[in-house]
Amino acid sequence: MTEYVLQTEDVAIHYGGVKAVDGVDLTLSKGQIRGLIGPNGSGKSTVIDAITGRRMLTRGKVVLRGEDVSEMGVVERRKRGLSRSFQRTSIFGQMLVGKQVELASHKMGVEDSYADTKAVLEELDLWKFAQVEAQDLGYGEQRRLDLALALVGRPSVLLLDEPMAGLSVKESLDLAQHLKQLTSSWDVSVLLVEHDMDVVFSISDVVTVFELGRVISTGEPAKVRSDPRVREAYLGSTA
Amino acid sequence: MLTINLFNGLVYGALLIIMCSGLALIYGLRRVVNFAHGSLYMMGAYLGYTIAFNSNFWVALVAAPAIMACLGVLLDRYGFRLLQDRDPLTVVLVTFGLLLVIEDMVQTIWGKSNLSVAAPQALAFSVDLAGTPVPAYRIGVIVVGFCVAVGLTLWLRYSKIGLFVRAASTDPVTTSMQGVNTDLLSAGVVGLGTALAGLAGVVAAPFLSLSPSMSADVIIDSFVVVVIGGLGSLAGAFIAAMLLGMVQAIGAVYLPDTAVLLPFVFMVFILIWKPSGFAGSRT
Amino acid sequence: MTFYRSLLVSIIALLLGLAVLNFVTSSTLLSLFTQAIIYAVFALGIGVLLKQNGMVSFGHALYFGSAGYLMGIMLQLQWASAETLIFYTLFIITLVGLLFGLIIVRVPGVAFGMLTLAIGQMFYLTASRARGFTGGADGMNIDWPSTLFGFSVSQILKPSVIFMISWTTLIIVIFLVSCLLRSRFGAITEAVRDNEERARFIGISTLLPRAAIYSLSALISGIAGVLSALNTGFVSPENLHWSLSGMTLMMVVVGGFKVLWGPALGAVVYFMFKDILGDYATHWMTIFGVVLIAVIVFSPTGIAGAIVGLMSGKPSVGNKPAQGH
Repeated sequence: MTEYVLQTEDVAIHYGGVKAVDGVDLTLSKGQIRGLIGPNGSGKSTVIDAITGRRMLTRGKVVLRGEDVSEMGVVERRKRGLSRSFQRTSIFGQMLVGKQVELASHKMGVEDSYADTKAVLEELDLWKFAQVEAQDLGYGEQRRLDLALALVGRPSVLLLDEPMAGLSVKESLDLAQHLKQLTSSWDVSVLLVEHDMDVVFSISDVVTVFELGRVISTGEPAKVRSDPRVREAYLGSTA
Repeated sequence: MLTINLFNGLVYGALLIIMCSGLALIYGLRRVVNFAHGSLYMMGAYLGYTIAFNSNFWVALVAAPAIMACLGVLLDRYGFRLLQDRDPLTVVLVTFGLLLVIEDMVQTIWGKSNLSVAAPQALAFSVDLAGTPVPAYRIGVIVVGFCVAVGLTLWLRYSKIGLFVRAASTDPVTTSMQGVNTDLLSAGVVGLGTALAGLAGVVAAPFLSLSPSMSADVIIDSFVVVVIGGLGSLAGAFIAAMLLGMVQAIGAVYLPDTAVLLPFVFMVFILIWKPSGFAGSRT
Repeated sequence: MTFYRSLLVSIIALLLGLAVLNFVTSSTLLSLFTQAIIYAVFALGIGVLLKQNGMVSFGHALYFGSAGYLMGIMLQLQWASAETLIFYTLFIITLVGLLFGLIIVRVPGVAFGMLTLAIGQMFYLTASRARGFTGGADGMNIDWPSTLFGFSVSQILKPSVIFMISWTTLIIVIFLVSCLLRSRFGAITEAVRDNEERARFIGISTLLPRAAIYSLSALISGIAGVLSALNTGFVSPENLHWSLSGMTLMMVVVGGFKVLWGPALGAVVYFMFKDILGDYATHWMTIFGVVLIAVIVFSPTGIAGAIVGLMSGKPSVGNKPAQGH
């Protein structure tokens, strides 16, 4: 029985008559990159919210490295190595880039937060902006900062919510390669929600497809791509 | 003793209804907590004084609110509209600045001593209420308060503009997308709100004398009413206004020191437990 | 600004204070300065809350006035030496600030402002009516003993001395607070202010930092209250009234709260208006009101923000905080 680094068991989130997520079982192995795809409103982002504690579960549980974290708040889960980035860029506008990333690193308990910050910022090509206020950065740079805040402190599980949103094709592919490199060299396990098919299929080890709050297909990219249910629901005939 | 106090409580409650409906309307449409509302009330009162002095009370009753309405439209057009994309606290601070300006202007023009306005001849008699004589004028105030409450409720519920106002208060973006000119609407509603403040001032003048402190006296009570009633809710404001008037009246007789704290205690509880009416931001 | 530059600027500021004493001999002018400085400390308290938490309080006069009342009442009861009582007062103010803070900082936006208004008014009303304790609406005298910290109080109350004491207090408070805000704690509160949700997602529990800043702002306002109690020897319910909080808030906004010394500058501007303009124009308040509105609309970062913006060549309008002390 493989030790999963992250597992959701029959997770459901219902609110106001809407079943945003309705019985989802996910697994994530150490060092694995799992892509989550599906049409808008299929529940992918809500699953991330559930796993990170941003939303309360209607049903089911979330297990992080063997520990049931379903009742824990956002801060407690973060301290256990669960980290996320945001679809709508969420950074500290009036703080200096370096200062906020270093703060995030420090809060994760990293001994040498300066070194950790430098490493992450260099990887994401943001080190030159360390003394710049976050709100003065361009859109793409701010997206990378959002990512940096999630990457710093060596999280064990990284949840990325549409990290490529709003980026150009080239920027997206660059970022995707960066992520692949980083996560493999640091042995981070990744759950990646993305719309960009090329990105997802190029870097994911496994892919899970959502529709209407449920999983309709899961497995290796090639297999998922050719799954007729997936084609029908999402990819159309031009997979 | 109790009767006259209860009656006065009713009168004060009616006055608060007139004033606070203006405050609630302005908040509902512009999401602004208008700190200057008390000084607008004061301005209405003083304007009413001068107009009544030169003609009569009834003219003042119409003219002063009309002038205040124009001021309100200007306030919305050149104040609230231009600042609507700023942090809501910014606008609140601007209204505080406005309060300072208005208060100072009023003192400069009319001086610092207390002024009095006589009740109109037509109402200058007493009516017997359960053995106690009460001035007919004050009954008139209660009637006005009642008319304002009923009138506004009916207008909002059944008129087309009332519908637009309710829509714009809930969701200004969608409402304007539906073709409603929300800027014009806001100017109108803010004008109405300031007119109501002015009306309250004119109405209050014969039984509360005019003094430079009258705006401060009434603004806190207004905030208490509007918060307890649920900011932006007219019906809530009406009920809370009456309650406040009553509590103060009864309290003044039996428990003067604690009664005066009660409204604040309620306000504190409501703000801690349900500040959602105050989020200040539009969805 | 680094620690050493901060220290240098503070020492220069202290020397400037001495220089003022050298050139200004009129005791009325010195008294005016002292008043301005005491309000500068009060404004600093409100400003810290606005700067680090992004929260506007209309009720900080609560701490300003209560400090005076606490001193007055405890001195009357003769519980301990005046020196000890000063520490007790400040300790109580800080503790009350923390307790209130833990409850009320959870309330968002304008609701927070209204809440501070309500709480402040409750204290005002209580003080106005509790004749037995507080002397009621007439206020109460504060019976300072004849010596304080070894110095004779009549010496201390000489215009030049009390001026220097107030000035030194202001400079020291600014210096200490700037050191605090440069620390990890300062970074945490900035993060919570900028983006509370993301702060939680990077592992920061957000209630305690905000409550701590609120408590600090209460303490600073309390320090101003103690200075005022010393300066005037008197405290009245007016020191608790919301209009006092409001006025001081105006000083904070005009001065600019993104920089630590902005509110102090605002207080000075206010008193200048009051005194200088007051001689020529009886409606100096109208002018101040107009200035306030103009500042809010055109230079939201206040006069201090405009100054700093000019010096660093960046435009002053907008959300660009300057590098504070």
